[in-house]
Amino acid sequence: MSEAGTASGGAVSAASSSRRGHLDGIGPPLLILVVVLIAWEAAVRLMDVPPWLLPAPSKVALRFVRTQDLLYHTGLTLLEAGAGFAIAAVLGVALSAGIANSRFLERGLFPYVIVSNAVPIIAIVPLLNIWLGFGITTKIVIAAIITFFPIVTNTTRGLKSADERILDLMHSINATGAQVFFKVQLPSALPFIFAGFRIAASLSLVGAVVAEFYGADRGLGYLVITAATQLKTDLLFVAIIALAAIGVTTFWLFGFLERRALHGQAETDRRR
Amino acid sequence: MQTAAAARATVPPCISLRGVSVAFEARGRRVQALSDATLDITEGEFVALLGPTGCGKSTLLRVISDLLRPTDGVLLVRGQPAADARRRNDFGFVFQEAALLPWRTALANIRLPLEVVGYDDAKRNDRCGELLASMGLANFGNSFPSELSGGMKQRVAIARALSWNPSILLMDEPFSALDEITKNQLQDELLRIWEREQKTIVFVTHNISEAVYLADRVVVMSAHPGRIHQVIDVALPRRRGPEIRDTIEFIEQVRLVRAALLQS
Repeated sequence: MSEAGTASGGAVSAASSSRRGHLDGIGPPLLILVVVLIAWEAAVRLMDVPPWLLPAPSKVALRFVRTQDLLYHTGLTLLEAGAGFAIAAVLGVALSAGIANSRFLERGLFPYVIVSNAVPIIAIVPLLNIWLGFGITTKIVIAAIITFFPIVTNTTRGLKSADERILDLMHSINATGAQVFFKVQLPSALPFIFAGFRIAASLSLVGAVVAEFYGADRGLGYLVITAATQLKTDLLFVAIIALAAIGVTTFWLFGFLERRALHGQAETDRRR
Repeated sequence: MQTAAAARATVPPCISLRGVSVAFEARGRRVQALSDATLDITEGEFVALLGPTGCGKSTLLRVISDLLRPTDGVLLVRGQPAADARRRNDFGFVFQEAALLPWRTALANIRLPLEVVGYDDAKRNDRCGELLASMGLANFGNSFPSELSGGMKQRVAIARALSWNPSILLMDEPFSALDEITKNQLQDELLRIWEREQKTIVFVTHNISEAVYLADRVVVMSAHPGRIHQVIDVALPRRRGPEIRDTIEFIEQVRLVRAALLQS
């Protein structure tokens, strides 16, 4: 259909061409997915691949439907990642405000921010298990630690990207620190902050799952580990698909929020 | 007509510099950005600071507006420290690039200082609308900077600097990035604003004819270290318009200033 539209030439209305553009967006990847799934299903059946090695898509789909507590595990991992992310976002933006406005804080704190990124997160999980136990707290803290770095570096860079001359202008009319921050620095930083948030969102999921590997009786990370040790490969696929779904959804959600926030900024100013 | 020099003697200076120096450390070396600058600027005067890059023109503007403390010398604004004038919001700034906030509309950019200086909430938008109209941008209040031409952006920046009606305008090469036609238009508009609102203007430029066309006095500066070389009274009548650009008198003034600049 898309081919026909192109071939018929220029007489395409704006509305129909934008609709075609939308189909162009999801059409090709959907088509490829269907082809891959059919080939996969056929290959597994024709070559009689054992299900522990590679389960057929139909088998995975069946397991997907039959895993009753999938939503529970997914929700829990999402909660851990989300809470960790939220903590890191609040603390990270606050810390960045300090770093961007104080030479002392920048010099004093930045090395530790870098250290927090340099230590492999996996090495910290056992320590936190000793301190905080095997409950949800450890997972949240790990998710927060792993997301902290991209949030702080991006936000700091964004806050410092504010136009020097406008800062001069603000100082020449005695703007308060809060006025400079909220009217100039923070809006200048928004695109950077959202870039950081997007990276952090997927990392928070990594943090939560890794923490679950080390001792948990629930969550998608737990599901992955048990499925693997019991060679329930179809369940393993189910858990991976759930994780991928969360990842894609959050990525999309942040893109949406970013557009709303950056657009909304302009809108409020227009209305005021 | 009273001569400019006689007028200066009777009126106390708006801005007074006595031996003002600015030095800072850069990579372990002491750089003298401004050396021993002495100058009086009269209330309502239009002064151009002219000189090559590195002569301390912009440094001088930052010192006057109390964004930079002089390392030596005395700077008074209306007989008081510059910090007092800054606290009274006496200084309006215009920069080489318009330096507008891209996420704010033209109107909201002009409003920014009003939000800071505590201008009456109800009157803000009216004031901004008036300014836009006076700059010939009445229909562009809702446009974002990305939708405006260079000249229009600079008009918005000037309106922003005028918004809370500061008595002193500090302009740092405001027209140097504009094309010749737009530049001449804005020069004339600036002169009209200055004549109407009787502000004191300190105008940094590296364009000789611009300095002569606009200013009562041209302060010729030289570089390394930045210092005031010579102050030249512009012997041209006021209410200047484009027609004077080709007069013998104008060309003679430009020649005088150029000669001073070459000596520096």
